[in-house]
Amino acid sequence: MAAEAAAPAVSSQELTVRYGREPALLDVSFEVPAGATVALLGPNGAGKTTLFRAAIGLARVDAGSIDLASRRVAFVPQRLELEPSFPVTVADVVRMGRYGDLGWIGRFGERDRELVDGALAELGIEHLTERRFGDLSGGERQRALLAQASAQDADIFLLDEPFAGLDAPTHAAMQRLFEQWRDRGRTVLVATHDLESAGRDFDLVLCLNKTLIAFGPPAETFTEEVISRTFAGHVLRVGSLLVDTAHHHHGAG
Amino acid sequence: MDWLVDPFQAEFVRTGALAAAAVGVICGVVGSYVILRGMALMADSLAHGVLPGVAIAFALTAGAAGSEPNDAALWLGALAAGLVTAGGTSLILRRSRVREETAAAVVFVLMLALGVAIVSRVQGYSVDLTSFLFGDVLGVTDTEVLVSCIFAVGIVALVTMLYRPFLLLSFDPQRAAALGLPVERLHLAMLVLGLLIAPPATAALLTKRLPTMMALSAAIAAVSAPLGLLLSWNLDLAAGASIVLVAVSTFVVALALPRARA
Repeated sequence: MAAEAAAPAVSSQELTVRYGREPALLDVSFEVPAGATVALLGPNGAGKTTLFRAAIGLARVDAGSIDLASRRVAFVPQRLELEPSFPVTVADVVRMGRYGDLGWIGRFGERDRELVDGALAELGIEHLTERRFGDLSGGERQRALLAQASAQDADIFLLDEPFAGLDAPTHAAMQRLFEQWRDRGRTVLVATHDLESAGRDFDLVLCLNKTLIAFGPPAETFTEEVISRTFAGHVLRVGSLLVDTAHHHHGAG
Repeated sequence: MDWLVDPFQAEFVRTGALAAAAVGVICGVVGSYVILRGMALMADSLAHGVLPGVAIAFALTAGAAGSEPNDAALWLGALAAGLVTAGGTSLILRRSRVREETAAAVVFVLMLALGVAIVSRVQGYSVDLTSFLFGDVLGVTDTEVLVSCIFAVGIVALVTMLYRPFLLLSFDPQRAAALGLPVERLHLAMLVLGLLIAPPATAALLTKRLPTMMALSAAIAAVSAPLGLLLSWNLDLAAGASIVLVAVSTFVVALALPRARA
């Protein structure tokens, strides 16, 4: 049956990943349909990054599986451990997004240039193209990396905390960009601790705290019980405002 | 001008300068990646990690007879030990969450201790092991110069071909993995190649483009060789050490330039 149901973009079956004996993810099953924006919500250490790393084959899967429907995957990590003097310009960084399609020695063509220019414009960083990447501010770097992902023209985007350190207008602009990607049929998974934006801006929320707590449209998924189990002990209720207290302990993470 | 010309009258200095320049090109190009990935300690660990392999090869081929050791055996021993060091480090990294430097340091200490233990058993034979371990830039043969030059050309060709995967890997290994690159193997390839860090570190201060960094550091390394030998000849210093001193002083000079601090 079900020829009408398209294959899921991301499919996880009883996924378990351990670091030593400690499980980072335990028995996580879900299916993300293609063309959706998904907020991956959970406190620090909930396994959000591990889920992404397992999806692209960087974390060893101990049991179960996680499969992507396409090999065209753009992954933007939370932060790069990069030599500040790394000799690349912003333009170079965005061009790297084309390397996957071009292979080792394929020549940059008209379409590649269009994708790169389009991505620079989308993220509003045309004026930074000749700057050294290491000299940029945190928010500018984040935009350059998202431009790289956009230039890659991927089917699936895995974005680890893309909103960290962004001001409100930039955050809103990024969110609109993700929606444009979605409207072009792309699947966008965004790891975040931002409860408010997860509930307001995404098609689906996936609440994770080592195990899968809940998965579905935010209106149906966000019950007080789900949120308190997701952020076990880390959430304060201040009037109608939920605050993830773990988020405020900077540094150690 | 005698101080400039005199040293190069001697053939062994000319040969040494050429060999060191060729090695400089290799190290400058490959070292660029080592620096960018923050693998300086890793490269150092690898360089020292060859010790037990060389010592074992030395003991096996020169030991009992007290004769000259077999060159091929020394190369093989060094290569095998280098691979054990690199493989051991990446095994630790894959099986645990320790930092890269920590894994490198652990293997480094192990290999060094192993090497010293073997050397202590081998000492007393007629041929001096240290000259094999530390090399002598003024004692290189024509064959070795040829081999170094071939390697230099080969490495430059390889890096040209693998420019994109290596750049991706240095910039963001996770992204490279997401693109389906054989990250582990490329990483190992980069590691096995890397040895010297001063020229690329200097070049990184001076440019914002990777190809420029490689060219610049290769040039710095290549120029450091004859300059170092000049210094060595005129001031009666150890030849290899003088070359390194020149290379490191370019780094200090570059640090002082306004552009590097910007």
